[in-house]
Amino acid sequence: MTTPTWDEPGGPLTNDEFRAATDAIIANIEHVIEGKGATVRLALAVMLAEGHLLIEDVPGVGKTMLAKALARSIDCSVRRIQFTPDLLPSDVTGVSVYNQETRDFEFKPGAVFANLVVGDEINRASPKTQSALLECMEERQVTVDGTTYELQAPFMVIATQNPIEMEGTYPLPEAQRDRFTARIAMGYPDPRAELAMLNSHGAVDPLNALRAVADASLVRRLIATVREVHAAEAVQQYAIALVNATREAPEIRLGASPRSTLQLLRTAKAIAALEGRDYVLPDDLQALAVPVMAHRIIPTADAQLNRRTTDTIISEIVHRLPLPHDRARNPYDTRANGDGRAQYESRGR
Amino acid sequence: MAAAASLLAAAPLSAIFETWTWLLQCILTVGLVAGAAVLTRTLRFPTWAQAAGMVLVLLLTLTWIFPSHEELLGLIPTPATFNHFGELFSEAGNDTRAYGVPVPNRDGLLFIAALGIGAVAIVVDMLTVVARRPALAGLPMLAIYSVPVAVYIDSVPVIPFIVASIGYLWLLVADNVDRVRRFGRRFTGDGRDVDVWEPSPLAAAGRRLAVIGVAAAVVLPLIVPGLNTGLLNQLTQVGTGGGGTGGGPGNGRIDLSATLSGFLNTTETIPYVKVTTDETDPFYLRFGVADALNKDGFKARTPTGRPISNGLTSPQDNPKTDGGEYQRYHADVEITNDFTQSLAPIYSSTVTMDGLDGSWAYDQSSQVIFSNRTNVRGKKYSFDYVRAKYTPDELRQAEQLPSDDPNIVQFTTVPADPTVETLVQKLVKNKDTPYDKVMALYKYFSKENGFKYSLTAAGPNGDVSAIDAFLKDKSGYCQQYAASLAWMAREAGIPARVAFGFTKGDTRDGKAYVLTNRNAHAWTEVYLDGFGWIPFDATPAASVAGSSRSAWAPDTDQVETPSASSSATAAPGAASSANASTAPGAGKDVDAGGSVTGDAATGSGFSTTAVLVTALIALLIALLLVPALRRVLVRKRRHEATVPTVAAASAGPAPPGSLDVVVTTEAVQAREDAHAAWDELVDTMLDYRVQVDPTETPRHTAQRLIHEADLQNSSAAEAAVLLGTAEERARYARQPMRGAALTTALAQVRKGIAATSTRRTRLTAVLLPPSVMLRWRLAIGEASTTGMTGISRLRDVLIRFSPRRLLANRAR
Repeated sequence: MTTPTWDEPGGPLTNDEFRAATDAIIANIEHVIEGKGATVRLALAVMLAEGHLLIEDVPGVGKTMLAKALARSIDCSVRRIQFTPDLLPSDVTGVSVYNQETRDFEFKPGAVFANLVVGDEINRASPKTQSALLECMEERQVTVDGTTYELQAPFMVIATQNPIEMEGTYPLPEAQRDRFTARIAMGYPDPRAELAMLNSHGAVDPLNALRAVADASLVRRLIATVREVHAAEAVQQYAIALVNATREAPEIRLGASPRSTLQLLRTAKAIAALEGRDYVLPDDLQALAVPVMAHRIIPTADAQLNRRTTDTIISEIVHRLPLPHDRARNPYDTRANGDGRAQYESRGR
Repeated sequence: MAAAASLLAAAPLSAIFETWTWLLQCILTVGLVAGAAVLTRTLRFPTWAQAAGMVLVLLLTLTWIFPSHEELLGLIPTPATFNHFGELFSEAGNDTRAYGVPVPNRDGLLFIAALGIGAVAIVVDMLTVVARRPALAGLPMLAIYSVPVAVYIDSVPVIPFIVASIGYLWLLVADNVDRVRRFGRRFTGDGRDVDVWEPSPLAAAGRRLAVIGVAAAVVLPLIVPGLNTGLLNQLTQVGTGGGGTGGGPGNGRIDLSATLSGFLNTTETIPYVKVTTDETDPFYLRFGVADALNKDGFKARTPTGRPISNGLTSPQDNPKTDGGEYQRYHADVEITNDFTQSLAPIYSSTVTMDGLDGSWAYDQSSQVIFSNRTNVRGKKYSFDYVRAKYTPDELRQAEQLPSDDPNIVQFTTVPADPTVETLVQKLVKNKDTPYDKVMALYKYFSKENGFKYSLTAAGPNGDVSAIDAFLKDKSGYCQQYAASLAWMAREAGIPARVAFGFTKGDTRDGKAYVLTNRNAHAWTEVYLDGFGWIPFDATPAASVAGSSRSAWAPDTDQVETPSASSSATAAPGAASSANASTAPGAGKDVDAGGSVTGDAATGSGFSTTAVLVTALIALLIALLLVPALRRVLVRKRRHEATVPTVAAASAGPAPPGSLDVVVTTEAVQAREDAHAAWDELVDTMLDYRVQVDPTETPRHTAQRLIHEADLQNSSAAEAAVLLGTAEERARYARQPMRGAALTTALAQVRKGIAATSTRRTRLTAVLLPPSVMLRWRLAIGEASTTGMTGISRLRDVLIRFSPRRLLANRAR
């Protein structure tokens, strides 16, 4: 069996196949998570964008449920790590143990050796343990005792965490946060969804009824399809402009990284593909700006004192920043216009 | 304050009116309007209500001052009031033509003045107080200034204009002081890096601007040729003015032509004669006759005759000239010191003479009073004269004189000139009576035939070449007209001569007419058997100040009452003279049997002022329409861009019949089409005041448009979504959308937005499209920024060479 590498994800799917596959996954997850369509799509988009997902919210809103539902919908290896304060890095990455039969040290793979790693309550472990994920999340490999082990493709970490204000939490280090493609919040369900939840969850655990609707190879092909999505230069410029704006904004101490630019665009491609488009819109970037960038930036002390959350800062930037465009500048509307006008004006003359 | 400024601005009008009644009324009007403004503002009415309030008060005031006596409670206007206003308007229209400056207090004129100044007061108030644009208020004020300038033929007094400009400056200063006060205290700039002699950089800039402006205002007229009043022209023309006025007291033979052109070409206005008469509408005052015609043109003979102490003869006493209806009048004449002719200005057919001594004589034939020893300078005299009234029918009875009649012998000699001969033969063909012949010639000099009045057209002499030139160029002044008509009449075998004198005059001093060099005039006199010498003035009435017309020779350029004049003059016996004089004069205050009819008043209906005003208004309207036009053009071009350019190369299956469908073969083309359609949509949104947000994506914009313009559930919503999708695909997708009916979609969206927006918004969108205005404003802003950058760069360069830089450094 050849292990598929990240560079050869498989052939892209056609539009219809893609639609069918993603719709099946989404429908599957929505059996469990009621009334959170947008969140579910975003989670799936992060997966298709080869990113990692951080689900942050207060306890009891279904963070773990979402992570597990996503994992179960795909027929691939799933490992779950419950992050506790006494968890050690080696529990995550794996450890070399002495095998008496072979008289040699033998590598016991840790929890990360799976297609999907669900890290529950990630901020309850100490930063030391959290940092064990750094290498595997970015480089998709684990180095233990000088030996580097490749991880499988696809590889995705879905972590849940409580807000930082909760007791017994260690904040994630910046480097760790930056590795998560998107941070999403579940939010409380609306009354109707909550009622439906009471009915479905009352008798049996719906998770148990969940069957896998996709496998790893299909996910790889989905990923390949997403990579094919077209991002116009204007859109790329807009992504850069957005990220740059966080670096220049006065109320932000640490702006978003170039990695975030990359992940922003990738996720946007995934979202576009999920919507059946083969091109990225600035709308996608706008919708993703908060989930992708808000957890990476550090506001200044002043902004914090003013109780401005990173979410509001980012969404303000989005509202403030004019769209770039590949046409020449229009005096009053940066979006509409220029080049095109010049062209047809010259045609008119 | 705005009101006071408007009043000051009205100062130039003082030059027009004789009395100050208008001022009282205007103060009243402006005061009440200002009061209304203050009241509405105190009550915090919206802007439009303020304007409406002021207009209402103006209306009430006018109703009060100029009542038609049919108002409710004396204030509330009724339809009758507006009829009355209409009458006042037409009356004013007549008055402006009938009276010269300064005018007496006519109700119509007063009404116009009060209305105009009241309206200006409203506009000034709105501009300064509401719009805070006091500089713009100069425009309506300028309109007031231009009135006297247009009315006066020559220069206007300076003082009132200074007063008016002080009013304007006061307005500007007050506003700026107010504006600065809003920031707090004013600083002089001490303590800043500014030289001591420059109190503040702003003030210095202001001074520089002012100096440049004044310099430009002075220099430009000097440079631009064609402005006769220009300083340079005056300098170069000094001396030609009074050149011809002399002639010498001892020599009765005067070059009247030279005198006349000298008079008319003098740049200043010199009063010569003051004449008072009990005739309501006198004809021209006359002092000389040129009746000897040779190659050099008409020349005056040396007058001969008996001293006036021997008495004068009346044409009534002579059976050969007693035709027509005579009436006797009395006139007093006062000659100023500037007039030194040896010929005394009198009305024709003077019968008695008082106040001139025995050195004066009367020439029976030419009917002039002359002296060989002295001149009329400073003389005062009075005389009685008879005025004959003729009707065309009467004159038509005049027979052709027998060829041995002394008048024929003396006054029909003409130098041979083939041009004139053929022309006259052509004109008098089929005309039987001498009167009809003369009328045929007379009418030839109409505007219709291309004749136009020009003081600078030809040389002063009416010699053969000049007459030829005049008939060819059809451009000249009274002398050419008079001489040509006389010449041609002679050619037709009718005795004719050129008379010189003054027109009725348009300036009045009490009851007296003040005649100046501007009123100097020449006209033709024709001898008709049984009637004597009858004046015909072929010069266009509109071009001669104080000109008048007679029933037998109406204005040929008059177009308004063609039936009346043509029936009275052309068609023999078709209409009586009563018809001729009363029909066009109905409703006007002409004396009942007036032979100097209302035709004269209506004759100059298309005065230059009226034409100018009309042109200005038309220009204004055209200017207002420019943005709308521009918008329409832009839309058209975009629609052209979205309309299919059916690809010739690849015979794509074009959907038949649907013109709106984009059937471009190239993606580029489709992309451009979508962009064009989108630009048009954005402009449409701007026009209808739907916010345009540069941070929004096309999709968002379309959604918001649907939401804000309330387009849900209509085809417009679908159209908007279609446009948004087309644009986003054009921008971001690999392949743009093709085959979409963008033009139709645009039309639908436009209709949809228009249906849900207010009438005001719709009107603005059509007349003053905000998209166009905004683009222009931004373009202007950008241009000025570029300009300022250039200037400041230049300034930096210049400062590098300025020694003051070193001084400043040393001071530090």
